[in-house]
Amino acid sequence: MVIKPGKRRVTQLNNKLRHLFNNGWIEIAFRWILGITFIYASYYKILSPADFAKMVYGYNLFPEVLINLIAIVLPFVELISGLCLILGIYPRSAALIINGLLLAFIIILIINIIRGYEFDCGCFSAEKAGSPKMMVARDIIYLMMGLQVFLFNGVRKGCFIHLGRRI
Amino acid sequence: MEWNKIIKEMMFLLGIATISAFTVNFFSPKGIALVGQWDESPGVVASKADSDVFNGELEIKDVKTAKQIYDKGTAVFVDARSLENFKNGHIKNAKPLPLNQFDNFIKAFKKKYPANTFIVTYCSERTCDDSHKLEQLLFDHGYINVSIFIDGYQAWKAEGYPIE
Repeated sequence: MVIKPGKRRVTQLNNKLRHLFNNGWIEIAFRWILGITFIYASYYKILSPADFAKMVYGYNLFPEVLINLIAIVLPFVELISGLCLILGIYPRSAALIINGLLLAFIIILIINIIRGYEFDCGCFSAEKAGSPKMMVARDIIYLMMGLQVFLFNGVRKGCFIHLGRRI
Repeated sequence: MEWNKIIKEMMFLLGIATISAFTVNFFSPKGIALVGQWDESPGVVASKADSDVFNGELEIKDVKTAKQIYDKGTAVFVDARSLENFKNGHIKNAKPLPLNQFDNFIKAFKKKYPANTFIVTYCSERTCDDSHKLEQLLFDHGYINVSIFIDGYQAWKAEGYPIE
């Protein structure tokens, strides 16, 4: 069978992408980037839960009874998942949690972009983090990294515990 | 993929996060209530943090009462919003005391206004609690006659009352 040159190039590209996708150094780099980002993101929220609750309220999507609970629990989910990614403790599960959060953030931001809603109380406790469209783009990049970490099949570098195997 | 194991690990991590979250929130001086006050009709929305100093008795809950006080000319209206927002528009004759620059402004303010001055603080609207925080800061600096106009600049402007 004769393989056309165009098809061969696509196959080569696929192989290169697969090689990159399963590169252990890229996996650990993404894990650290996501870990540091999420620990950093949780820091301010843990220090100022009241301000974070105001931000959650500002999305105008959650029932009143859930706002405080989200503001209390979410930063610790980010912190624990971020720490686990960096330390390599259950990295696949931590990445899945992070991906779930990122997907939720993206959906929430897109809903508010579509309905043209932007919360601005003019108060210091709920200052804007950036334009919603930029935040969606940023979260999509993080989600790509999270997917690489989750789907990675090779031997993970710098891991304490992953899927029961100690390295 | 070992889904059973992944789900167990996720439950474990989420469990640790939840327990840590409620423990820290319980012991932290900045902890918040499990359910906040997020309905705007009774007053300013808030998470009801342990550190909250909201005093309902000090609140001016409608814009017309605020206007009556303003018309008497006995109160100094103080704007808690950012200096940028203040410059873009504020209640006529109001003084700026931006919450994030309070320390820079309070010295000059104290020189001009004695502790018995009747002060009305305000910020943007009921979703904003900066006017409450400013009231507490002014109280800490000896001002005992402070009220909070909770509907803030937006409601004042919407009524067509004097701004500059």
